[in-house]
Amino acid sequence: MIALPFAATRFDGRSAAGEAAFVRIVDNAVEIFAADDGELRDRAPLARVAVSESFERTPCLLLFAGGVTVEVIEEARRLREVLATAVEPSPVVRLQQYWPAVIAALALLIALSIWGYASGVPAVARWAANAVSPALEHRFGERVLALMDETQAQPSKLPTATRERLTARFAGYARRSVPGVPMRVEFRDGRANAFALPGGIIVVYDGLVEIEPDDDAIMGVLGHELGHVVHRHATRQLFQATGVVVLASLLWGDLSAVAANAPTLLGILRYSRDFEREADQFALDFMRANDVPVQPLYRLFVRLQSERAPRKRSEAFDSFLSTHPSTEERLELMQQEIRRRGDTPSPDRKDDGGSR
Amino acid sequence: MNEPSMPSRPRLADGLEPGRLRQELTGEAPPPLSVVRADLPDVTPMSFTGEGAEYFRIWVVNLLLTIVTLGIYSAWAKVRKMRYFWQNTRLASHVFDYHANPWAILRGRVIALVLLGAYSWAFEFSTVAGLVTIGALFVTGPWLFLKAQRFKLGNSSHRGLRFGFDSTTAQAYRIIAPILALWFSATVLTVVATDSMWPIGIASLATGLGIPWMHHRLKSYQHAFATYGDRRFAFEPSLVSFYWVYAKGFVLVLLGGIAGGLLTVPFMWTLGRGDDDPSRIGLLVMSALYGLGVYVFAWPYLAARLQQVVWDATRLGDVRFHTIIEAWPLGRLVAKNVLLTLATAGLYWPFASVALARYRVGCMRVSADLPFAVIAAGTHAPSGATGDASADAFGLDIGL
Repeated sequence: MIALPFAATRFDGRSAAGEAAFVRIVDNAVEIFAADDGELRDRAPLARVAVSESFERTPCLLLFAGGVTVEVIEEARRLREVLATAVEPSPVVRLQQYWPAVIAALALLIALSIWGYASGVPAVARWAANAVSPALEHRFGERVLALMDETQAQPSKLPTATRERLTARFAGYARRSVPGVPMRVEFRDGRANAFALPGGIIVVYDGLVEIEPDDDAIMGVLGHELGHVVHRHATRQLFQATGVVVLASLLWGDLSAVAANAPTLLGILRYSRDFEREADQFALDFMRANDVPVQPLYRLFVRLQSERAPRKRSEAFDSFLSTHPSTEERLELMQQEIRRRGDTPSPDRKDDGGSR
Repeated sequence: MNEPSMPSRPRLADGLEPGRLRQELTGEAPPPLSVVRADLPDVTPMSFTGEGAEYFRIWVVNLLLTIVTLGIYSAWAKVRKMRYFWQNTRLASHVFDYHANPWAILRGRVIALVLLGAYSWAFEFSTVAGLVTIGALFVTGPWLFLKAQRFKLGNSSHRGLRFGFDSTTAQAYRIIAPILALWFSATVLTVVATDSMWPIGIASLATGLGIPWMHHRLKSYQHAFATYGDRRFAFEPSLVSFYWVYAKGFVLVLLGGIAGGLLTVPFMWTLGRGDDDPSRIGLLVMSALYGLGVYVFAWPYLAARLQQVVWDATRLGDVRFHTIIEAWPLGRLVAKNVLLTLATAGLYWPFASVALARYRVGCMRVSADLPFAVIAAGTHAPSGATGDASADAFGLDIGL
């Protein structure tokens, strides 16, 4: 097979001065001739010459092993057609040159991203959390608690007797429900809130006990936090957040760090709500197993909700509450449990109707 | 007509399609002499020939393969992307090329991931671990930056000659270490001096005031040690102009902050009504809009002006550089890119990056007292290709 020669510029790799040249494809070999004296400059089998990928408006670049570069600018398209009959383009290049394949790739990309976000990342995070040793998890939790104490947390102002009573009762329930799960309750001063740190450290703020002095309600809240501990939510959340960051930066990292992080934060919120639902369910099972009535917890939630409406939005740990499912949804879950147990629903139910 | 002295030349050229080469070989028409005058420098514009729709296809396939291989393909994707952008960039009708080995990029990415992971997690475990990580970054940072520059430039070529980065390790430490020291000072003081706020405040202020100085020092390092063949780039001091641009940019950031603040007003209003606890998401949306306002407002100005300052101060032997980039067209382009990228959940991104490259490259001017071809003829490969082999060990992406 002999094709007409192609006008080119030859760079010898030793100087930036280009030489007008011609490219000829002869029997699966590339020949470069100088334009002014017609002398053969280079000859190599096609397989030994690196040919640049075929883009619409780029020159065809031929790279020889000795450092010679040949640029075919004006007839790049015709040269590529000739080369295409001799050299098979890579599957990736063929995929990308064919629009229907690109659309299919895009559809697959979107499907994979959604699947990765909804199932892949949580599954990997669960596996990774199980691989973390409890000692490391505990150490990490202690570190977070120490940082909190250094910066903002104040010691609890509750009477020691109250704290000991609550802790002892809850520890008994926990031993019965989930024996062997490491767990410790810590009280701190602050607005009504509670959360679980990695390694089974449950932090309760005084405000929670002050707003609802009924121990049964506190048992419900602690049961919820124990659910987080049992399911290792804190550690899984850490890995999920990392996974979402990785996924988002694979997808959008090219754009900018900000673009990659904004969807990440929203994504982390959704995972958090799933965890809260799981912990809510655990709390209800926990209360049922230990014969703790649900009404006090229900009452606590209604009070929390009415307290929260006018409160300031900028406080620290504000974020904790808004990462939860809506209060209506959670109240409904408790209502169902109350009905299932055959108790009468609390009369407070109608209180929350008008607040939305 | 057939002169015996040059028999092959007209015959070979007859097979040519119409174009510059055919004109030169056959002498059909003289090359245009519009700009070539002895008393004026020879100005050569640069151009970018990429198309959004074409890069979109490359981008989609790159992204799919990257996700499927859990990120491993990203190194190959980077090479494909760089090749597309370099091979579509023209200077005096010849293109640039990119030659990096994807395996080297992969190795570099693993190293970068480990360092980044260590930096973001170390302080969560213990103060000592955090300080050790900062120490390690401080000690290795200049060397890594040098390697990254060597890799990036050593793998880029034009007219068959490679660019390069001709700095010794000692020079890298002398120039980069003070930047890193200032950069980390506030973090280290926050950890070490917990009882007093004064040192932290002073260090933060010094870091803030030092940003133009750091940027200038880094840019001059990048530009003064770059090479093309046996020619070396030079960078003239321009620290005052850096401070001037940053000062005006700071004013624009303040104005952008007001613009961003105005954007968030409707959200503030909804938040105030106390719906079912949207505070976290609401705050996120607010800060995102705020950041976007600042970005679209201030970034194009800073980017355009700094590019002018940087390139006006850069020389390659007798060759001078200049960019006619302007803040206002760049700002419009960025605003359009941001809006369409957001509206399409990122699908517009390949079109946006091609449009940005076309504008930025198209603004570049290369000028010299001699015609470009004459200068090219006098540029040779450096004697003894040193350093290039070591540059292939691993490739770091440090985008600065």
